[in-house]
Formats: sequence, structure tokens, C-alpha cells
Amino acid sequence: MASPGGQGGGGALSTRGGGGARRMKWALELSLGNTRSRGDRQGGQGDVVYPIGYSEKPVPDTSIQETDKNLVEKRCWDVALGPLKQIPMNLFIMYMSGNTISIFPIMMVCMMAWRPIQALMSMSATFKLLESSSQQWLQGLVYLVGNLLGSALAIYKCQSMGLLPTHSSDWLAFIDPPQRMEIMGGGMVL
Amino acid sequence: MAKLILLWLKCVVLWAIVEAVFEDQVGKFDWRQQYVGKVRFSHFDTHVQSSKKVLVATERNVFAALNTRTGELFWRHVDKTGSEGNIDALLQHGQDAVLVVGNGRLLRSWEINVGGLNWEVVLDSGSFQSACLVGQQDMVKHVAVLKKTAISVHYLSNGHQKWIENLPETETVDYQAVYSDGNGEVYVLGVVPHSHIAIVVYSMEDGEIIKQMSVEAPWLYNIQASCVVVGQGMLTCVDSAGVSFYMLDLHLQLQMTQVPLQSLALEVDPGFHPVLLSHQPNPARQPLSEFFLQLGPDHYQLLQLNNGQIAAMRDFKPALLVSFATTGEKTVAAVMSPKNKTACSVNLFSAETGRRLLDTTLIVNMDPNGGKPEKLYVQAFLKKDDSVGYRAMVQTEDHTLTFIQQPGRVMWTREEALSDVVTMEMVDLPLTGTQAELEGEFGKKAAIQDGLMSMVMKRLSSQLILLQAWIGHLWKLFYDARKPRSQVKNDVTIENLSRDEFNLQKMMVMVTASGKLFGIDSKTGGILWRHYLHNVPPNAAFKLMVQRTTAHFPHPPQCTLLIKDKDTGLGTLHVFNPIFGKKSHVTPPALPQPILQSLMLPLMDQDYAKVLLLVDDQYKVSAFPSTKNVLQQLQEMAASIFFYLVDSSQGRLSGYRLRTDLSTEQIWEVIIPPEVQKIVSVKGKRPNEHVHSQGRVMGDRSVLYKYLNPNLLAVVTESTDLHQERSFIGILLIDGVTGRIIHEAIQRKARGPVHVVHSENWVVYEYWSTKSRRNEFSVIELYEGMELYNSTVFSSLDRPHAPQVLQQSYIFPSSISTMEATLTEKGITSRHLLIGLPSGGILSLPKMFLDPRRPEIVSEQSREENLIPYAPELLIRTEWFINYNQTVSRVRGIYTAPSGLESTCLVVAYGLDIYQTRVYPSKQFDVLKDDYDYMLISSVLFALFFATMISKRLAEVKLLNRAWR
Repeated sequence: MASPGGQGGGGALSTRGGGGARRMKWALELSLGNTRSRGDRQGGQGDVVYPIGYSEKPVPDTSIQETDKNLVEKRCWDVALGPLKQIPMNLFIMYMSGNTISIFPIMMVCMMAWRPIQALMSMSATFKLLESSSQQWLQGLVYLVGNLLGSALAIYKCQSMGLLPTHSSDWLAFIDPPQRMEIMGGGMVL
Repeated sequence: MAKLILLWLKCVVLWAIVEAVFEDQVGKFDWRQQYVGKVRFSHFDTHVQSSKKVLVATERNVFAALNTRTGELFWRHVDKTGSEGNIDALLQHGQDAVLVVGNGRLLRSWEINVGGLNWEVVLDSGSFQSACLVGQQDMVKHVAVLKKTAISVHYLSNGHQKWIENLPETETVDYQAVYSDGNGEVYVLGVVPHSHIAIVVYSMEDGEIIKQMSVEAPWLYNIQASCVVVGQGMLTCVDSAGVSFYMLDLHLQLQMTQVPLQSLALEVDPGFHPVLLSHQPNPARQPLSEFFLQLGPDHYQLLQLNNGQIAAMRDFKPALLVSFATTGEKTVAAVMSPKNKTACSVNLFSAETGRRLLDTTLIVNMDPNGGKPEKLYVQAFLKKDDSVGYRAMVQTEDHTLTFIQQPGRVMWTREEALSDVVTMEMVDLPLTGTQAELEGEFGKKAAIQDGLMSMVMKRLSSQLILLQAWIGHLWKLFYDARKPRSQVKNDVTIENLSRDEFNLQKMMVMVTASGKLFGIDSKTGGILWRHYLHNVPPNAAFKLMVQRTTAHFPHPPQCTLLIKDKDTGLGTLHVFNPIFGKKSHVTPPALPQPILQSLMLPLMDQDYAKVLLLVDDQYKVSAFPSTKNVLQQLQEMAASIFFYLVDSSQGRLSGYRLRTDLSTEQIWEVIIPPEVQKIVSVKGKRPNEHVHSQGRVMGDRSVLYKYLNPNLLAVVTESTDLHQERSFIGILLIDGVTGRIIHEAIQRKARGPVHVVHSENWVVYEYWSTKSRRNEFSVIELYEGMELYNSTVFSSLDRPHAPQVLQQSYIFPSSISTMEATLTEKGITSRHLLIGLPSGGILSLPKMFLDPRRPEIVSEQSREENLIPYAPELLIRTEWFINYNQTVSRVRGIYTAPSGLESTCLVVAYGLDIYQTRVYPSKQFDVLKDDYDYMLISSVLFALFFATMISKRLAEVKLLNRAWR
């Protein structure tokens, strides 16, 4: 859409340059504001007055090339399958970090748990990303499943590290002492 | 494997709590007070004029030297308890003090300057009668010891026996006294009761009998009680009926001359047995010819023997106590007479003339909460102008020693009753006045009565008061900071008592066997109040209960002491305020029936006093306080009130239930045949004990629930047969409500004394194993299993499942005197056992080492649980001694009390000494360490704060500069 303008600009530059060189050998310009030798930007003072906002530089061509729709689809699938692809990596990290409770395994577990949760929270943004795809819903589902699997993995890791309160011993501190039903006292005969 | 276990043990030990105090913490949280007990013999050290010592030998078998200026101990020697260490006689000559110990078993000589032992000899067997120093030509070189059948003379310098002679006619004659006056002869006086006096005179040189003679004396049966030797060897007796004197010249031995008391115009009080008192200043010379005759409880007469004639010199009435004292060549008689209700006066009289010496009056102020004076010891000295000055040591019937200087200045007081503490309690101190005012203002009652506006006003005013108090406190701090540190004294008096931030300072209420009650500040050990209960029988049983704590302002705290006379069985109640020691205005009920036991209910009357039930010998119950409200509550609760009684003489344990009409009904009974075994002790759980965790976490993270039966009793029995092959001890865990026997264990070939601690779900006991000849610890733990039967309520009546019982035993390298478990506010902190050792140490042994789940083979799971592998020996690690080098002699009991800090437990060990300290079984997890570097932390904080400020400013400047560029 910008290509015709660009070509026109290029034309104007060449005509003006050519014309100027042809007309005089040298020129002394005494007018104010043209103290710089390179008067290209302030070309308004010359013969040719450019309109405001006109740029001499060529605007780069940022338009998406007309490619096949497959590329979009592929990209969208990349996004959707991202979490799933991380799982083997996570499994490896899990295996490597072991079940001892120390700062590094804890950090890893936190990362593992936090990332899927973060992704699930920003689900809507991801959906927007996938909008252009025809298989948007399927991709969304796969993305969701991947993240859920990731968090499940994190929970499993927590479980194997013993961080989940699943045993009765984890609730021991909350048991109140039982109330006494009988009052008893006495002792040796004084 | 062994290496692995060793390594593991090392790790555990390194990890396990290191508790020893640091050097700079010595005496910071702990104090010790040393006592000697009730004084039996006392001598002032007179061989040097400037000496500051008074020697005391006491009924607690202690021989000590006290500093007469401060009352502190110079040195102290504690002998065996009981008759084996009993001090029979104390003789002093120069730098040596000679003691006869253990009914004439040992003769010891001590050097009194440093308290070192000069020599000790074992005497021949025989019951001790009397001892005296024997001098010759003004030199005292021997000591004579009279026994039932023999007399022996020993050298004073090395204790060697000079000679020993059997006494003649010992089947009929009861020899009781020995006398010598420096003429080379030793007189042994014996009596055939109601017949005659036997006198045997031995030669000092070789023990040969010089003379032997008997004199008719049909009225005499006890020489020591009624006779003294006066003047030039004149044996002077007074007969028990108090009619006449009898005199006998020991050198001539003709016949007894009778002098009727009436001829001297003397009359003995009816029913009083007259007593004679003489004085022999130097054992190498003759006694004084002046002597006292006590005619009545407060009537004395000074008499003089002159050429065989007795003459009355001076009459003292009223006079409480008399005493002779010698300094140089002068001998004086001190007479204590009552002045008014609260004071006595002591006057000196010249012994030769009976005249009162000028300016020798000394006023003794009697403590209204103390006892009457019992003994008077006088230290006389010559002043520069050759007149006689003196100091007096007064012993009162509450075992207090008071040392008084002229004209009545009390130099020191020693409360020797504290050497025999029977029971004690620790009571929270009250809040300060302002705090208490706040509590009162914002109590529930006030909120209902007043409206919103007045409450706001009250709040504002009380805040003002608080601000004022705070400013006052700051001002005091500032004021004190300018003074040199030594002058700042934080004396705790009864007026400025207040609870500290963490409730670490408490009032120790101590009950002593003499019947004197003390209130002691637990922080400093200062005695804040004392109260002597008159008429406490010597073998009384005491039970002290806190009926109302300080938490119920404005009601004063209230303690009740039940005193039971063991002979008559009758009990009395003494109700008092534990903070001030004053007797409460609440009148306790009269107890006409003998009392068997008392029990404190968690019920309160409308004044927040807990209800005390007293069970009499008819098994009827009376309540104190017994207001209508209380009786109504009791009727409602009667169905759930049970009590048990243990009668060890009949071997009977019985449980009773309360009926609504306050009569009782026996519901169970267990008989332990007293011919076979006798019940030694019964231990229930402490009512103020909290258990935080209801179970134990296993290695697989399941829970083993504890069997926390609050009604469980541990009954210890010992066999009556003490033969080492057949003796045994038994332990019986019995439910006090239902009488159900939960567990029973018999330890064969074991003997007591058994010390037992019962707490939470465990019982620890210690005994002597006769088979292996060693002390052993055994621990029993009770668990409910992996499931709780009923997690909300505990009823002994509804417990279908028996608990699981685990038991393990260990070898302990020392015998023990007493044992107690630590106690904390919420029961989160791990428990330690505090063990008083006969050596004087108090050991804090982690309960972790006494755990029946300690595995023999280490597994993954047991490691997960932090269980220490089983090792039969329990080690005594020196850093476990909580009293470092502060030996506590003869520990009788250890009392533990929780403080406001969960980590901290207050400990008082009592016996002959009293020692108070704090223990931290799980270290101080809730307090910053003592050596915490506040300076470093705060300076780092400030530095960081300023650094942030500065860097922020710098960053701003930089940003601005960049924007300008």
C-alpha cells in the first residue's frame, strides 16, 4: 500500500538532484536558517516545497508477504504446544533435583508450579494471539491441557518431596487436646 | 556398621542441645543459698581477739563456721544424714575443734581457720555418753570420751589414744558424765537410778583408778539433767522435785550435804523441773563458783558457792534466757529479759559480784512473724578501756539465727528453717498498680455498667496514667545511668513487686518443716516475707494449694496450707496471701474430723477462688469455700467428681464418687497385700501440665497417637522381702476414675528407693538392680495407636481399647536423690528430666534419651524420626549439669514451674541448700541470645538506611543532569 508513494518519492529525489546540478555551478545562499551546507532536510526553502510531514527517507517495507496460511497455523500450534514441550524438560529437571528439601529444589518446584499458573491466568491474552488461526479452540484446549499437565507435574513433585499436607501427621498440630469429662484428685492418706 | 553408628551418635550428640552456661552468665539467672540447719552446738572462736568466726554444729549433721560480720559461711562440712553422721559433741580449744560423730563412732579434729581436717580416729564401739577436754598445768592436751562401758583419752594433737579403760560395774551403774579440772585426774560420774552415785577417778598419766566410791543419792536418776560441777570440784545437784540442793566435794567425797531451797528463800514454779547452769572457761582450770538455777520458765537465780555455802546473788524475773561468757580473765553473765511485746533486752552482769555492768543493754527486736528466743550465745570482748563489750547470737524456735550488736543493730539473720523445705509453690507476681487499674477498668463488669462516653474518658485517663508511669520510668533510668554502676541497687521490696515482661520473676512460697512459711523472690533469692505458724506439731504433713492466682484483680491471690498432725489426724487450714504473706481475712472452716486428703477442683466460686474439697475419715466431703453458689455448682458437677485414696499401711487403693449430698460412694478398690509389697508412692499428672502434640509423627509420616489419660496414676510398690534374690519392685498404671489397671510391670531382683516421674504419656522410674548391682532407668510410654478413639472429649468411662505399652530400660552411672520433669507454658518445648544427684549436681537429661522407641537397628524410618539408636548406657555429660560448680547439698526435691516464655522453665532445687535457675530444654528459640549484637545490627541498619537515602539523592541528581545534556 505504501509502495507507490515510495517509488514516487524516489523519482522526485532523482529529478530534483539532476535539475539542481544542471542549473548552476555554485550558489551562495544568504537566507536565514540555511547556514548548513546540507539543505536537504530544509528543502522547503528551495524551489521545491515539500508538504509537512513528508519524509525523504524511504519507508521500509513492513508488510507481511503474501504467504500461505499454513505459516500462521504453524505458528499458532507452536504457541499451543509450548507447555507440552516443556514437560520432558521439567521431568528431567525433576529427576535431577531429587527429593531432598533444600533451596534449589524448592526454587525449581516453585518455578515449575508458578509458570503454568501464570500461563493459565493470562489465558485470554493467549487466545487473542491464536485468534487468526482456524483451529483456535483446539489449540486453546491443547494449551490448557499442557499447562494443567505442567502444574500436575509440579504438584506431583511437591508430593514426592513431601510438601503436600496429605498425611495425618500434617494436621497433628491442629488437633486440640480433648476435653476432660471427669474431675479426679486425691493421693496418699496424709 | 559400628563405625556408622558411632558417627551417627556423634552427630546426634553434637546436634543435641548444649546447655551449659557461659562464664559470663554465671549467677545471672541463678542463685544458691547455703544453710546449715538448726544449731545444736555453737562456739565463738575466742583464741584470737579479732576472730570473726562462730562455729556451729547442727541437727542436720553439718559442721560450719560462720562469719560474724556478714553471716556468710566460711566453710561447711556436710556429714551423712541420719544417726550415722549425728554430731554428739563439739569441743573447742584454740584452733582445734573436736567433734564426736555418729553416736561415738568417730572422733574428729578440725582446724577452724580453713576448715581442714586435722585427724580422725575410729573409736571403739559403744554408745556415747559424754566428752570433755582434759588439761594439766594450764595446758590442754587431751580429750576424754566416755562411753557406756569404757573411757578413752586421746591426744589433742594427733588423735592417738593415750589409754582406754573399761569402767567397773557397768551392769548396774549408768555412767553419764566426765569431768576434769586440770589436776591430773579424770572423774567419771555414774548413777544407779534412785540409789547412789558412783564416782571413779582415773589418773591422767596411765589410766589407773585412783579412787572409786559410791555416795547415797536415792533421789537422783540423771546426772546430766540435774547436776553440775561448780567451784573447786563441788558436784552440785538439784533434785527433780525442786526441794533442795545436794552437794558433794569430788576431792573429799564424804557425803552429800543437803541444802533446802527454802533456806535460800527460793521456790520452784509448780510443775517445773529446775535446771542448773555452770561455766568452765578453761578446761585446765576449775569452773566458776557462780552458777545459775532456773526456777521457772522465765525465772533465773544467780548463786554463788563460797566455802561450801551457797549464797543467792541476784534474782532475775522475768528472764527468758541466760548465758555465761568469758573474755580474758573476766566472766560475765548475760540475761535476756522481755521488755515489751515486740522486744527483749539483754544485760550483762558481772559474774563475781552480780552487779549490772553499765552501758551493756542490748535491745533485741522480736519479729512478730517469728518465734520465741530459744538459745542465747554471747561473744564477749574487752574494749580498749578494759570494759566488756559483747555481741549476741539469738536462736529462736523457728530456727532463725540473729546476730546483734550493741545497742541493738541486727548484723545478720540466717533463716535456718529453709534448710528443711517440705513443699513449695511458685505464684505469679501481681501486675503493677497501673496495669492492675487498667485491668479493673476494662473488665467485663465495667463495660456493662458504663456507657460509651465514660469508657472513652476512662481509656484516655488510663493512657495518661500509663504515659506518666513511662516517663517516670525513663527518668529513673536516666537518673540511674549517671550514678556509678555499683551504687545502683535494684532492691526488690514487697512494695515494688510487679510481674516482668515474660513472667520470669515469681514468688516462691516455701513451707518448712518447722512451720515457718517464706515468700522468696525467685530472681534475687531475697526473702520478702516470713510467717511462723505456732503450734505446728513436729511430724506434721503439709499440703500447699493455690486457690486463687493473681489473675483475678481486685481479688487478692490466695493460698491454702493444710497442716495435718500425724498423731491425732486432725488438720488445720492456714489461708494466706502468697504475695504479702498476710493471713487472709477469709476464715477457714474448723475441721473437727481427721482429714484424709484434699482435692482442688477446677470449679470457682463467684470470687474466682478454686474450690477445695476435704475428705474426712468418714469419707464425707466438705467444701471450702462453701458458699451457696459453690454448693450448687458441686451438686451439678457431682456426677463427674471422683477421688482416690491410697492407704499404704493397709495396701489399699480405693476410688470414690461424689454424690449430690456431698457424701461419697466407693466405686472401686484394689488391694495390694502389705505382707508382700508395700505402696511407696503414687504419682498422678500435674494439673497445670499442657501437652501440645497429641501424637508422634512416624517415619512414614503417619501418626502414633499418645494415650493422654489425665486420670492415670502410677503406683510404685516395693517388696517387703529385701533379700537380693527375691526383692522386686512393681509399677502399676491404674485409672483413678474406674480403677482399671492399664498396665502392670514387675522388676525382679530390684530394690528401691524408686524415684518416679509421671507426665504426658510416659512414666520414668529409677531403681537399684540387685542382680547387676547398678542403677537402672526404665521408661514406659503409652500410645493409643494409629487412630484416635475420641478426639474431642476424654472420658475414662468410655475407653474400650487398651493402650499400646512400650518399655525400655537403661543403665545409669550414678544413684539419684530426686527427679522431676521440666514444665513449660504450652508444652511445645521438648521435655527434659531434672535429676538431683547425691554428689550435689543437678542433671538435665533430655527425655529423648529415655524413649522406648529407640531402635536397636537403625533404619531409614527411625532416622527420619530422629530416634537415637539404643545404647544401654546413659552417659552423664558434664555440660548437662545445670548448676555448674554450685553444688546443691542433699537435694530433697526439685520444683519446676512454667514461665511466660515457652522456651523457659523455672527450676528450684531444695534440700540443705536452695538453688534457683532457668532451663531451656529446646534452647531459647523465642528470645534473642544474651550476647546478641544489637550495636552491629542497628548500625548496619542505619548505615543501609542512610546509604539508600544518599544513593537515591545521587541517582536523582544524575538523572537530572542527564536530562539537561
